[in-house]
Amino acid sequence: MLRPLLMLTIVGLLSTQAFAQDLTPPADVNVIDGPNDDGGRLIATWAPSPYDRPDVRYRVLLRTADGEKTVAEFPANTKYVKGAKLSWWTRPAPPTFHYFEIKSGKAGNIEPGKPYTVTIAAVMGEQSVAAPPMTATPSPDWFNWNELNNLVLVLLFGGIVFVSIQTARRKEIFLRRIAGLDAVDEAIGRATELGKPILYLTGAGGMSDPSTLAASVILGRVAKRVASYETDLLVPHRDPIVMSVCQEITKQSYLEAGKPDAFKEDSNFFITDDQFSYTAAVDGIMLRRKPAANFFMGSYYAEALLLTETGASTGAIQIAGTDSDHQLPFFVTTCDYTLIGEELYAASAYLSREPVQVGTLRGQDLGKAFILVVLGAGTLLATVGVIIGAEWPAYILDFFKDLK
Amino acid sequence: MNFLRRQLPLFITFITGVVFALQYYIPHPISETLLTEVSKWLQIVGGFALVLGISSLFHIHFVKIRRHEPGWGYSFVLYAGIVGTLIAAFGYSAAAGAWVNGKETINGVTTAFGWVYSYTMVPLQATMFALLAFFIASAAYRSFRARSPEAALLLVAAVIVMIGRVPLGEYLIPALGGLTEWIMGVLNSSVRRAILIGVSLGTVALSLKIIFGIERSYLGGGRE
Amino acid sequence: MANLAERLLNIDRRIIFAVIGLCALMPLLYPVGLPIRVSDEVRQVYDYIDALPEGSVFLLSMDFDPASKPELYPQALALLRHAFKKNLRVVTMTLWVSGTGMAEEAVSRMAKEAGKENGRDYAFLGWSPGVSAVILNMGQDLYKAFPSDYYGKPTKDLAVLDGVRTLRDVNYVVSLTAGTAGIESWYVYGKDKYRFELGGGCTGVIAPGLYPLLRSGQINGLIGGLRGAAEYETLIGKKERAVAGMDAQSATHFAIVVLVVLCNVLYFGSRLGRREDHR
Repeated sequence: MLRPLLMLTIVGLLSTQAFAQDLTPPADVNVIDGPNDDGGRLIATWAPSPYDRPDVRYRVLLRTADGEKTVAEFPANTKYVKGAKLSWWTRPAPPTFHYFEIKSGKAGNIEPGKPYTVTIAAVMGEQSVAAPPMTATPSPDWFNWNELNNLVLVLLFGGIVFVSIQTARRKEIFLRRIAGLDAVDEAIGRATELGKPILYLTGAGGMSDPSTLAASVILGRVAKRVASYETDLLVPHRDPIVMSVCQEITKQSYLEAGKPDAFKEDSNFFITDDQFSYTAAVDGIMLRRKPAANFFMGSYYAEALLLTETGASTGAIQIAGTDSDHQLPFFVTTCDYTLIGEELYAASAYLSREPVQVGTLRGQDLGKAFILVVLGAGTLLATVGVIIGAEWPAYILDFFKDLK
Repeated sequence: MNFLRRQLPLFITFITGVVFALQYYIPHPISETLLTEVSKWLQIVGGFALVLGISSLFHIHFVKIRRHEPGWGYSFVLYAGIVGTLIAAFGYSAAAGAWVNGKETINGVTTAFGWVYSYTMVPLQATMFALLAFFIASAAYRSFRARSPEAALLLVAAVIVMIGRVPLGEYLIPALGGLTEWIMGVLNSSVRRAILIGVSLGTVALSLKIIFGIERSYLGGGRE
Repeated sequence: MANLAERLLNIDRRIIFAVIGLCALMPLLYPVGLPIRVSDEVRQVYDYIDALPEGSVFLLSMDFDPASKPELYPQALALLRHAFKKNLRVVTMTLWVSGTGMAEEAVSRMAKEAGKENGRDYAFLGWSPGVSAVILNMGQDLYKAFPSDYYGKPTKDLAVLDGVRTLRDVNYVVSLTAGTAGIESWYVYGKDKYRFELGGGCTGVIAPGLYPLLRSGQINGLIGGLRGAAEYETLIGKKERAVAGMDAQSATHFAIVVLVVLCNVLYFGSRLGRREDHR
């Protein structure tokens, strides 16, 4: 009985001794200014060790004016470069190295321009061995290299758009038929025959919203046709800036149509920016004035169905165009024609056939084709990488990832 | 005058567009400070824009009242509502013993402005939103018809989700819950992503055109 | 037969309104209390808050107006109850000016119920104009973005904000949103730059549009509509108005399904009738 117990004790002591002998200071410790940031970080990297196990821990210490404090402590088999969200072109150390970011926190503030000393220690139980302290000075950077892929893709897409515009200036580009836009003339003609006004809404967005911009461009085209027929145009607004812009656009349209006297200042008017107050007011206009054609262009929220259902009850022809995908089902069910997503942006090109507009549309389509190819090829590469256990597909896939 | 209405806005748009497009890639504190400062200017400009809107609103309804156009009584109610709410919002609250200053409650005491908010605005807005339930039903009854195979497929998916999202549906057919989650999480997500990609590309293209002055319709005043 | 089908297809919409009204009202008067299955996306928000250590900073942005009160107010109450129960430092605010009164009422009520003190355990910052500007400013310096709280107390003196200088010091942000100026704004101007964890709650109609953000990990959980609120109430063990509303929602959903099926039967019936008449 005693002998096995003695044997176990000796083995245990020897093991502890062995582990204690393994516990060496972390090697190849490097502390640098955190790259691609505002100067509020330091990065510590060090080589993997034979004792990288859950029972051993790494301790990161920061020396400030108040003395040395522990920033963090974590199991030794965690926190590697490959686990951090970094692109391969900005990695500070090989993927198998340990990686830790030191930021302002309870241990102290990290301020740009001030040197800080960092110590990495390996800890097991009461034992602790530390690497020599390293000093680094954080500083702010002028470019975030993690976003390089983003910048390249934006410039590439921009280039495609500009080249497409130049191409459109030289030759005709085919645009597929958009039923909703073909119906615009029909709607305006119907309103003129019935002697009823046309209601045009530009949506809930502000002037910075692309759909509102597209809506105001289409308003210009609609207003030009309305001007030539001398039909009443009602354009209630939710945003005062959009109202001012649309007023100018409508005025110009009437001028171009040769009917400046027919233009009414009050055709564009502000109601309120509150969602349902605006909806109630427009519903009231629909029920009292009974417009023959309703145009819902721009971005919409919950008010969409309240507007379109009320319009449908008055028997008006309704044409909608929105990039608000959550309201699309309601528009599709209650309107005669619906422009979905970028069909709204395409509407300006479709109606005017201007080379700039058509060229932009083609550029967007080429961009979408590029994304489709990347999606297909990327899925294939990622699958191959997993099957064969290779790292190289990640180098290509990283270029299309959002990494910061 | 043409310079102020055309060239200057185009120049400002170009400079600010390029600067703030690049700002996204520059992590330096100067870049962040620039962004927060300009954001504050946007708030100020937005405040001035509200003045434009309110003056338009007052003008239209003043004309209606003066000419006794049909419904001019409601214009009068609008005036009374705006002025009354402003008085309630900036007046003195005897109950709370302090100037209201736009607060709904002061030290737990509801002000007149809070009363207007809680007993008119909240129920009125909630009522408008509640109308949607009725309108959805009548729109669905009128339009959800299987006119084509695609429409039939859409209808079946809609029915599955409508039943699967409520406790009664999951109680009657437990498998519907999982199927609904799959439709929402897989089919719906992929389609939303596709629309989002298209819309985002459209946004980027439109923004580039505006920054480089190719798209000028937002200035009004026609082509050059 | 075809005539009857046509007449029923063009039925007065007020009859449909009456049917829906009854289906919504009756379960509220005579509740059934069906069991509610908790979805993964709601559980993710719950688990994250549950795992936060005591004293963690939880920011709840109630970005909705009174129109969305029926769906989002129960979500807010459930989240606040949970946060106060976990003794988190709760900071609340809103990006929608018309939601200020409701947000203040929600946090005051829940704090009173939990015995929490304003300034020490929670803060209500109120509203500040400019959505993106507010979030960016909070990311740079919270005290500059909100020099005082809703009640006029300087934010620098609030004990609950001790050590919270920017959004980087916040442990978890949840935005309850009814549209723009909500979850997407908090992600683009907040989490993307300042790296805090973000969860979301929204109205049922915009929930499908936020699934891509959930799937990509941009938000770590999503409480969708009244159903999501009911699930959260079930998780925290305090069933209230959201759970009560689920019976009404069940009845109205089924009513709409029946109406849709009926309209299709009548539609095909009338088409068949017309074909037979032509023969």
